[in-house]
Order: sequence, then C-alpha cells, then structure tokens
Amino acid sequence: MIVQRAIEEAGIPTIIIAALPPVVRQSGSPRVSAPLVPMGANAGAPNDKEMQTAITKESLEALVSIQTPGRIVNLPYEYVAEI
Amino acid sequence: MSLTVLKGLQSEIFVPNTPPVVWTPVTKPLNEMVVALATAAGVHLKSDKRFNLAGDTSFRVVPGDAPSSELMVSHGGYDNADVNKDINCMFPIDRMKELAQEGVIKALAPVNFGFMGGGGDVKVFTEETGPQIAQQLKEEGVDAVLLTAG
Repeated sequence: MIVQRAIEEAGIPTIIIAALPPVVRQSGSPRVSAPLVPMGANAGAPNDKEMQTAITKESLEALVSIQTPGRIVNLPYEYVAEI
Repeated sequence: MSLTVLKGLQSEIFVPNTPPVVWTPVTKPLNEMVVALATAAGVHLKSDKRFNLAGDTSFRVVPGDAPSSELMVSHGGYDNADVNKDINCMFPIDRMKELAQEGVIKALAPVNFGFMGGGGDVKVFTEETGPQIAQQLKEEGVDAVLLTAG
C-alpha cells in the first residue's frame, strides 16, 4: 500500500487491516493484520461492536508484536457479507 | 562467459516486483501511543468534498473528535453497502475512541485521513499524496497509524 509505505518511510510505524492479504503483501506493506472479511468491512461486520473492537485492538497489538517486515497476522474473526 | 544471450529479453509472464522493505521500529508501549486512522476506503466528513469516483489522488482530513454520524464514503471501487450501514466497518473511529477511554491507547490522533485507493494515479500517490499525509501526521506528533485498505 503506497500511503502506508510513505507513512512508514517518514518514521511512523504502521499496520494495515487487509481483506486481501496477498495483494497487500505484494505491494510491500510492513505489517498486516488479516481477519476473514470481505473488502469493505475490513474492521468487521456492520454494527458488530464486539468483532470491530477485537479486530481493531488485536491489530494494534500486532503493530507492537510484529518483528519482521511484511509479516501477516491472521485474526480469527469471520464475517461473510450477504449479497 | 556471459549467460546473457539477448539483452533486455523479458518473460512474457508478468512478474510483479515487491518494492523494497520499509520499516520503522515501534519504540513505545501501546498505551503511550497517539494513534491515527487512515483509510483508502474514501471516508470523509459529510460536509467535505466528495471524491471523484473515476479516480482521485486527493485526501480528506477527519478530525479526531468528529462524530461517526458526520462521516460518509464516496468510493467507486468496492461494495459500499456495509460501510454505508456503519462507517466503523472501514474506519473504526468509535472503537478507537473507546480503546482510548479504556487506556489501551493514549489517544486517537487529532488528524486522521481518508483517500480513495484501488486505482488512480500511482505516481501522484507515491510522490505527493502519501508524503503529504505522512508529513501532517509527523507535524501532529502521531506515534502510529492503523490503516484499512486492500
């Protein structure tokens, strides 16, 4: 992700919550968290406060715990959008 | 002996290159960090200018004290149904405020950013949009950034 890389390059650590982790890996993101979500609900299902809190909080924790650039931390939360 | 038979010969199979590593180490515990949100999902204040859905390299600032009810999305590249129901799907601003209140993080940053990813002019994003957002985050003393995109 271009903007993530720019922020990281400026000296601020970053993490991205990705619905498509392979794409984000390819673009050189330094840290990635990956819940099982569709693009458009990366931080969890609509109005599901519990899931959103878990994804947000555990992504922040992954920001601190990841020691290897490009590492993807899978998060055990799943949301299947009804289409 | 040179192994190169033809100079400049390329595979017909597209092989994307991963850019070089960028890395800034974390130096503070989470509860001492001011954390900003940034999203490529096209989030902005309802009062702000909408993104051009055909491609837009500009960005919008979302103040940290903005109520989530004052936010909306304009983005032509993904299904907006969920985020229209609840902006926190892509911009978990309410969850960040709660985490700050609980002391998990020190605070949500005074400036947060929405832009329209998934296309647009890559060169402008790389040379202008990205560095401009990064500079504003630096000026505000932000310690870390949580992004959503991809």
